[in-house]
Amino acid sequence: MSRRDGGRIPGPVRRVLEPFVDRTVAERVLISVAAILLSIAVGFVIVLVSGRVAECSTAAWTMPVTGLGFCYDPFEVYAVLFNGALGYPLAIGEPGLFNPSWTPFNLSFGLTLSETTLLIFTGLSVAVAFRAGLFNIGTQGQLVVGALATALTVLALTSVLPTGPVSGVLVVVVGTLAGAVGGGLWGAIPGALKAYADANEVITTIMLNFVAANVAYVLVLEVFRAEGSSVVATRYVPEYAQFRPWLFPNSSDFALLALAVGVAFIGALYYLVEHTPFGYDLRTSGVQAAAAEYGGVNAKLTTVRAMTLSGALGGVGGAVWVLMSEGRWIESVPDLGFDGITVSILAGNNPLGVLPAAFLFGILKGGALEIGFRTDVPTELVGVLRGLIILFVAMPEFFRMAGRYAGLRSGGPGESGGSGGTADDLDGDDGPTGGAAAPTERGEADA
Amino acid sequence: MNPAVHLDGITKRFPGVVANDDVDLAIDRGSVHALLGENGAGKTTLMNVLYGLYRPTEGTVVVDGEPRSFASPRDAIDAGIGMIHQHFMLVDPMTVWENVVLGNEPRTWGGLRVDEAAAREAVVELSERYGFDVDPDARIEDVSVGVQQRVEILKALYRGAEVLIMDEPTAVLTPQEVEELYDVFEELTDQGKTIIFISHKLGEALSAADEITVLRDGVNVGTVAAEDVTREDLAEMMVGREVLMEPATTPREPGERVLEVTDLHVEDDRGVEAVSGISFELREGEVFGIAGVDGNGQLQLVEAITGMREPSAGSVEYLGESMAGATRREHIDRGMAFVPEDRHERGLVMSYDLVQNGILGSQHDPPFASGGRIDWDASAAHAESVIEAYDVRPPNADADAESFSGGNQQKFIVGREFERDPDLVVATHPTRGVDIGSTEFLHDRLLELRAEGRAILLVSSKLDEVQGLSDRLAVIHEGEFSGVVDPATVTEEEIGLLMAGETLDDGSVSGAAIHDAVDDGLGGGGLDGTGDGSVEAGEEGVDA
Repeated sequence: MSRRDGGRIPGPVRRVLEPFVDRTVAERVLISVAAILLSIAVGFVIVLVSGRVAECSTAAWTMPVTGLGFCYDPFEVYAVLFNGALGYPLAIGEPGLFNPSWTPFNLSFGLTLSETTLLIFTGLSVAVAFRAGLFNIGTQGQLVVGALATALTVLALTSVLPTGPVSGVLVVVVGTLAGAVGGGLWGAIPGALKAYADANEVITTIMLNFVAANVAYVLVLEVFRAEGSSVVATRYVPEYAQFRPWLFPNSSDFALLALAVGVAFIGALYYLVEHTPFGYDLRTSGVQAAAAEYGGVNAKLTTVRAMTLSGALGGVGGAVWVLMSEGRWIESVPDLGFDGITVSILAGNNPLGVLPAAFLFGILKGGALEIGFRTDVPTELVGVLRGLIILFVAMPEFFRMAGRYAGLRSGGPGESGGSGGTADDLDGDDGPTGGAAAPTERGEADA
Repeated sequence: MNPAVHLDGITKRFPGVVANDDVDLAIDRGSVHALLGENGAGKTTLMNVLYGLYRPTEGTVVVDGEPRSFASPRDAIDAGIGMIHQHFMLVDPMTVWENVVLGNEPRTWGGLRVDEAAAREAVVELSERYGFDVDPDARIEDVSVGVQQRVEILKALYRGAEVLIMDEPTAVLTPQEVEELYDVFEELTDQGKTIIFISHKLGEALSAADEITVLRDGVNVGTVAAEDVTREDLAEMMVGREVLMEPATTPREPGERVLEVTDLHVEDDRGVEAVSGISFELREGEVFGIAGVDGNGQLQLVEAITGMREPSAGSVEYLGESMAGATRREHIDRGMAFVPEDRHERGLVMSYDLVQNGILGSQHDPPFASGGRIDWDASAAHAESVIEAYDVRPPNADADAESFSGGNQQKFIVGREFERDPDLVVATHPTRGVDIGSTEFLHDRLLELRAEGRAILLVSSKLDEVQGLSDRLAVIHEGEFSGVVDPATVTEEEIGLLMAGETLDDGSVSGAAIHDAVDDGLGGGGLDGTGDGSVEAGEEGVDA
């Protein structure tokens, strides 16, 4: 009863969380769009203020009427952020709406999509665990382990197999599987600890992140380091054993094939979660564990399976990072796993939502680089603008999840909107053991 | 003289729902007034308006001839209105007198210290004035539920309540405690207090109240004097149509043994033994009822039988096979249906629609799942058939479970479980929160299952229900059967004694002895369930 007992939450917190709990999908999309606009408005002011404080020889933008000069042009900043992330499909400083020389296969767009692709996997990883009611903070560690497993497997295979496209396909597939297995096993550990030793997965996954990062570092440093390398990294895997950026520039580190794999994963995960008995068990465990148990779901097994699956997805993210972005395992693993948490929250933990959420992150990444090239705006300020957008967009979803986690859920008056049926709950007529019944009303009685 | 309380044209709207529609209600000082109605009739909402928990959308609350506007219960208390909720709000480790004064302690040392002596004395004085048999120094956790209720009443009186609102005061009491509560009512009204109690039990309203107001769909259907009406009149006022009050049980010869429970011991979540050596058996076409005050181990017993909880000792044999170590899934797969005691926690996934809830427990089985895929079309068809057959309203399979009223949620769960084609149905409080008309239907359906030769284990705290439907009736007290009786001949008083843990001199037999007797095919009688039992069962139809 504790999790659903909204009555234990202090009044002010309840009032903040409650409006976010019961929102339809359409409302949530609208809220997200409004949040982006609002974050732009706030960011606009921040750019102006910093532009007034900063020193420069010529003003980038002069405010009409007042004639005040500012070092940074907020219009330009946001135009470059979004337009630049796609490689300027819209014309700037030229007549016409579209830029005639634009093709989708440009460097900026490639960088954007590269980030998108990687975040699809880590976002899915976090989302799957979330759906099972598990807070997997360990996607980062699972990605590190998966990446190392992939790199080592591919290096081992390419050293014995003949070179060529056929073995290339084989090596990429096996290497990706190795990443999935490595990440999956790493994810299974906190899953098993949770299921059989009642260890909180938030704590264990965070701790295992450190373990993964440091063990992988030491292993590469001591055993697998490429000869003569100045950084702690393995050897590069041969080009034929990588996801190649066919249409995009080489330096974009982006392969359409990898994105296609990511999109296929989204579809597969959606199907798994929504249309299979396993997905039903997983979701039910996530939203109402007692009901899942009643419905014959083995809670322990489901926990282990969900964490293994989540870890495997993180591991595939690691494999793609090695085979598409870096070409090797290198100590400076980006925070893809942590960004995956935000992507998942943004996506409402729905696999289908992961695509736009990851794409937004990709745009912010690609756009930030572009602002660095194009304007004098410092990268730190761009980081602030990125953070603002993420914060604004993620907060409503975050509140919604927090509210649900805390057990707020209306179920009370007005939910059905039909036949006066819900008035029942107001009565709270349940018998003696119905203690958990009608939490909202009882909560109010408590207050 | 002004009435103690006058609700003048109270309307309370929630988004999409009118909970109270222009309700007028005058309550005389020194009277006991019952507020009667089915679930969702708006009784509690109305009382919450009076107690300041809700503000009325329209209308005025007049206390003692003076119009009032309550912003919170604090204002209502100041106006002399006290409310005792169904779930007591007492601090278990504290003593009776501490609980009574909590929040309004007399103080000394300039408000820095609680004047314990004065506080205790005030409580003793109050308790004596109203003839309450309460030890002021007992800890709440050590006293019975009946005493706890009196502590709640004392708490309200201590705060100066002239009007006491009691929400379902008898729901947690044994029949004897209910009698004692009626005595308390009398004592209070003799001294000029006014009592309003919420109920959906006809018998209770008739025997305890001076006047009865019936609410239906948020509307005041009428206020009547208790001595002028019959049970049938009231039932008709509540439901809006004539109600058949007696389930028609027919004698039936039980068949093969379905369930055999032997010396079962089960611990609760805290590791305390909740079931201490229960044995019984259940045959095809038989209804075995378990009555008892909630919290006497029936929950853990049922959980052990349905595979939700591992027993600590003893055995459960189902269809001739031991169920030791079998998972919950295996229990379901072997044809055991289970209506759980708590629909919000277990019976339904509140955020799922009814289509998804309809396959809870069958999510791995054909026709809903095949080849690793859930057939949502088949699932939707199933949910719709349950909705139709069990009259779930509104009939919308795509609505989330949480949007349905408690009674309709319950109907859906019962429907899902009954239509599982089970060999054994374990039904815990199957009609809790369900209105009279639907209760009638669920009871008929249960008896149909019995006639089809299925075994039914019925656990209910509603005496009339278990008494009216069971072929044999066990009474559970502190984890043991205090007796197994013939529901047709046992009286309510006798059951009450058994519920309180006492044994009957003649009729009662120990659990083990019953077990042996049943083994010999004696079955403990009760096959002619149409005797006195069903006359008593009149109330159960109403006990919605």
